[in-house]
Amino acid sequence: MQTLKEISIITGISVIVAFGFNYFSPNGIALVGQWDTSRGVVTALKKNDVVMDELEIGDISYAKALYDTGNVLFVDARSEEAYHDGHIKRAVSLPVGQYDEQIDTFLELYDLDRPMITYCSGRTCEDSLQLARLLMERGYMNVSVMIDGFPGWEAEGYPID
Amino acid sequence: MIKHIQSILRNSWLELAARWILGLTFIYASYNKVLAPADFAKIIYGYDLFPAPAINLIAIVLPFLELAVALALICGIYPRSAVIIVNVLLVTFIGLVSINLIRGHEFNCGCFALENSGNQASSLSTVLRDIFYLALGIQVFLYHQPRRWCIWQTV
Repeated sequence: MQTLKEISIITGISVIVAFGFNYFSPNGIALVGQWDTSRGVVTALKKNDVVMDELEIGDISYAKALYDTGNVLFVDARSEEAYHDGHIKRAVSLPVGQYDEQIDTFLELYDLDRPMITYCSGRTCEDSLQLARLLMERGYMNVSVMIDGFPGWEAEGYPID
Repeated sequence: MIKHIQSILRNSWLELAARWILGLTFIYASYNKVLAPADFAKIIYGYDLFPAPAINLIAIVLPFLELAVALALICGIYPRSAVIIVNVLLVTFIGLVSINLIRGHEFNCGCFALENSGNQASSLSTVLRDIFYLALGIQVFLYHQPRRWCIWQTV
């Protein structure tokens, strides 16, 4: 009985501190995440995230139509290694893990009004969403996310390098 | 042989070492999860064993439960109850990772931030490591004498 009481105290304190910390932490997450791949990229959802659905391109043929205009820059959010193994033709690499080191060069090369589409490895991968957020924070005005990523593009037989 | 096992179970210094090893390990394990709950939630999703509404709640609560039991073990506050929670967590971890090993489920989200978080080699070493920790946890659980360096213990 005593043990049960002690376990309840430890667990109770943990639960209270956990939700309190999550509420005040800048890294806190929503109580329910988005874990349905049919609805888009799976993510825990930060508690103060802007709605990203509008940025998501779920129809890969639409992304291809934008690609064919030749005006849209495709930005690969995956690691450099993954990029070298295969990427969308004419896409540029900006690994989200090396964003801080590479963003200054990127800013010099591409204007803020340049339309761009980020991608990574599909709907279980959030890196493209994260990169899109970072680019928008830097002032890029026209950023979308191709949520099916490189595997989806490759499966359609669209141009790769 | 039985005497040998009894002397291990009654060794107060071993009990202290086991508690501290478990405590430090659980602090280390909780640290990144506390700081990056979204990444941890993604790892839980990757196990493919939890209902979607539970994933974020686990990601929010579990790191703090790990931290609380770790501090309880190190400071010696309710050590026996804390180690029961630790053992339940370890058995659960071993079970979950084993299920995925047996069914050959590998989660590779292609995420830059979570690279190599779910491959088979790391799963096997995780299971072996957790069994070692469970052995320490069982020693702490079965130890029935007064414990060393404890703030608050019920014998």
